[in-house]
Amino acid sequence: MAAWLGWKIESNWTDPFLFTIYSIVKPLAAAMILVVMYGVITNNQFGSPVFAYLFIGNAFYQYVANVMVGVSWAIVDDREHYCTLKYLYVSPISIPYYLMGRGVARVLITTFSVFIIMVVGVAFLHIPFNPAQINWPLFVLSLVIGIIMLAMLGLLLAGVTLRMAQYSFNIGDSVAGALYLFSGAIFPLEVLPAFLRPLGYIMPISYWLELIRRSLVGGVAESFPTFAAISDVNLLLILAALSVLFGVVSVWAWKKFDWEARERGLLDQTNNY
Amino acid sequence: MPMLPPVSKRHTGWRLFLMTVIGRSYPRVVGMQRERSWIFFDTFLPMLSVAAYVFVYRAIKAPEDYVGFVVVGGAMMAYWMNVLWSMASQLYWEKETGNLALYIISPGSMMAILLGMALGGLFATTLRAVGIILLGSLLFQVHFVIASATQLILVFFLTMVSLYGLGMMTASLFLLLSREAWHISNLAQEPIFLISGFYFPIKNFPAWVPMVGSFIPLTLGMDAMRQLAFASGPSLGWISVNIEIMGLIVLSIMFLMGARLLLNYMERLAVREGRLTESRG
Amino acid sequence: MENHYAIETQSLGRVYKIRNPGKKENKTLTALEGVDLQIKPGELFGLLGPNGAGKTTLIKILTTLLAPTHGYASVAGYDVSKSPDDVRQRINMVSGGESSGYGLLTVRENLWMFAQFYGIESKEANQRIKTLLEIVGIADRANSRSSNLSTGLRQKMNIVRGFLTDPEILFLDEPTLGLDVGASRDVRSFIRRWMDDDPKRTLLLTTHYMIEADELCDRVAIINKGKVLACGTPASLKQSLQKDAIFHIDLDSPKVLVESVFSILPGVTSVKIHDNENKTIMDLVLDEESALANVIATVTSQGAQIVTLQKREPTLEDVFVKLVGQRMEEVEHADAPAS
Repeated sequence: MAAWLGWKIESNWTDPFLFTIYSIVKPLAAAMILVVMYGVITNNQFGSPVFAYLFIGNAFYQYVANVMVGVSWAIVDDREHYCTLKYLYVSPISIPYYLMGRGVARVLITTFSVFIIMVVGVAFLHIPFNPAQINWPLFVLSLVIGIIMLAMLGLLLAGVTLRMAQYSFNIGDSVAGALYLFSGAIFPLEVLPAFLRPLGYIMPISYWLELIRRSLVGGVAESFPTFAAISDVNLLLILAALSVLFGVVSVWAWKKFDWEARERGLLDQTNNY
Repeated sequence: MPMLPPVSKRHTGWRLFLMTVIGRSYPRVVGMQRERSWIFFDTFLPMLSVAAYVFVYRAIKAPEDYVGFVVVGGAMMAYWMNVLWSMASQLYWEKETGNLALYIISPGSMMAILLGMALGGLFATTLRAVGIILLGSLLFQVHFVIASATQLILVFFLTMVSLYGLGMMTASLFLLLSREAWHISNLAQEPIFLISGFYFPIKNFPAWVPMVGSFIPLTLGMDAMRQLAFASGPSLGWISVNIEIMGLIVLSIMFLMGARLLLNYMERLAVREGRLTESRG
Repeated sequence: MENHYAIETQSLGRVYKIRNPGKKENKTLTALEGVDLQIKPGELFGLLGPNGAGKTTLIKILTTLLAPTHGYASVAGYDVSKSPDDVRQRINMVSGGESSGYGLLTVRENLWMFAQFYGIESKEANQRIKTLLEIVGIADRANSRSSNLSTGLRQKMNIVRGFLTDPEILFLDEPTLGLDVGASRDVRSFIRRWMDDDPKRTLLLTTHYMIEADELCDRVAIINKGKVLACGTPASLKQSLQKDAIFHIDLDSPKVLVESVFSILPGVTSVKIHDNENKTIMDLVLDEESALANVIATVTSQGAQIVTLQKREPTLEDVFVKLVGQRMEEVEHADAPAS
């Protein structure tokens, strides 16, 4: 029921105009920024594994930006824009399930936009694509685990957002921007200064993106040393273990922040100045 | 004895205009000081995202000046976000809280209210942008080579005038679009980051792209700033700085006049159709 | 100045177009129709009517926020459509339940900000803010963030905002909406004092509380469905019912009594029956007292018993019932939410 309500709110996006904006124009423009950056420097060497690495990483990073941020953004949206958060709280629905419901809609929409970006990449930018060589079981399994992991991270962020009532406008986007840096999405972790690399190694997103790359374009992933020593199965296990760990932390944090937010009366705070 | 004496003096004309500007900019300047968490969220976190693009350049072995372009682009992005979210869509939120009606019935001009919002936002954002530039330059050892400080300051000033002029103009437009405005602001993020060249020189685009992009003052402003602040800048510039300065002057005049015209139009239309007060009214 | 009225309207009307996506013809809603009002400087004028009667629409027109579709309105002698800037220099407005200002600013800062928009020097503004906050009893909250105020305190801040600029003509739209009894009383007594202080001040107040109109206003216009039905001093409005006999009867009735049974009796002008807790209450307006005997006989024949019977003075509520045929509460319940 709670999830259904969340879904109904997000699926306002079935408006064709809005769908085009959020699922095609915005993500494609973001991808094109990287394409232009790469093209300017390498004189349009789009056949290189470096390009496929960053293009695929960026495409699938859409899930991070949309699912994780979407789940937490619901808090800001409901509190500041619709001012309905307090009413949700006094209604019998469960807030985490409601947030997850909003996440489900995001997953479907994001899947579409990732598909569009990949089609553009394959059609115009020499991204290698051979259905016979794709490891479909690995791809599907990784995708599912990854999405659940992202939803849990979203819950963590939702808790933080709830608690930091005074300033929540850009927090989701900012965190997504930060993780973009530490999860090997658009460059291998080796490019980071050595002291920052451990952050990438503890983020489940790094393993998830690696698994996605391996399942789709095995050859590209092999060109980068980051996780070369780890087998597919081990990568999957690491991803699963980290997902469970972050899941537990998220649920604990949500409960704690939720309680604190109620205690401090932050549920109906708005800051429009 | 009366409980309250009459008001002894009411300023009108330019004094009232100035007072209105200061009055409306106050909440933005003070609001920010009151919530120090912006230092983290609006400087440190955008810095991480700037860093992501810096490392992409490092990963593909780009010349070091490109790292500087990203840092400057990141700082300029703070202004763009401020204009989008705290100028363009602001009148819509003001309407929802009931402030807009009170602004309109006050003798202070709406143009002054918009200008106050712009100056308050500009001040608050400048602190963020300076933070990003300082932090970015230190972390990534950006090497600036200033060709002409005067021109650089002039370009920055004109970019801000025209940028916030654009924000003032779109505020009226967005008010009439109501909720759709939120989506249009969203639409004006990534595509604008792309065509305005926040992270790379726009010279590499086919000429029509920067021409279309020049409607956003940051396109010309950043291209000129790159030319004036980096060693390799002049060779990567789209058109000459002087032409860009002229362009920014034209944009400034156009947007500020447009802001005034649209504001009047919006007020007339909204008064006729009853759209000035909150939706529940 | 062309006339000597503080506020004047002639055949004022407002029709809203309701956008009807998908259909060619837009629906229209008449919010105000043929309103003629003349309010003199120094008057405290009340607009009394149920929610959705058109009170807020009238205020919006007079405060230059909405253009009339018909007729003419002037405030302080200036046409609201043609000279809005002249009007704005002389007015202010406070609405019940408004959430104006910025939550991050303190009460004092919010008020100071609005004073700036009226060209009042900071020093004088701060002095006035201090005095006014003391008068309404929230001086101790001057440095609290306005987001931390309760509804009642916030409304007091809004009231201060309206009075701070010392407008020639002040519009108060349901100023006590949502306030508790004590806070409402404070606000009403403050309004009265402010009016008594300077005979040139004019105040237009809308309300759907009878007591507010009755206690506070020099003159009252009763408004329903966009039309002014009557206008006069509360006393004169009530006097129009003076020749009628008004009774309030508490009944103990085993079954539901139907109004139509009583309204057809000779001499009965209006009858309203409603339940209150365990009692049935009948409010009766009769042409003459002699008609009462018939009513009592009918009550008894219905198996009900009279617990108390009071003859009472007419109230504005009775005036409203006589004009509209329903109590204000019933009108509000019958209509869709106010637009």
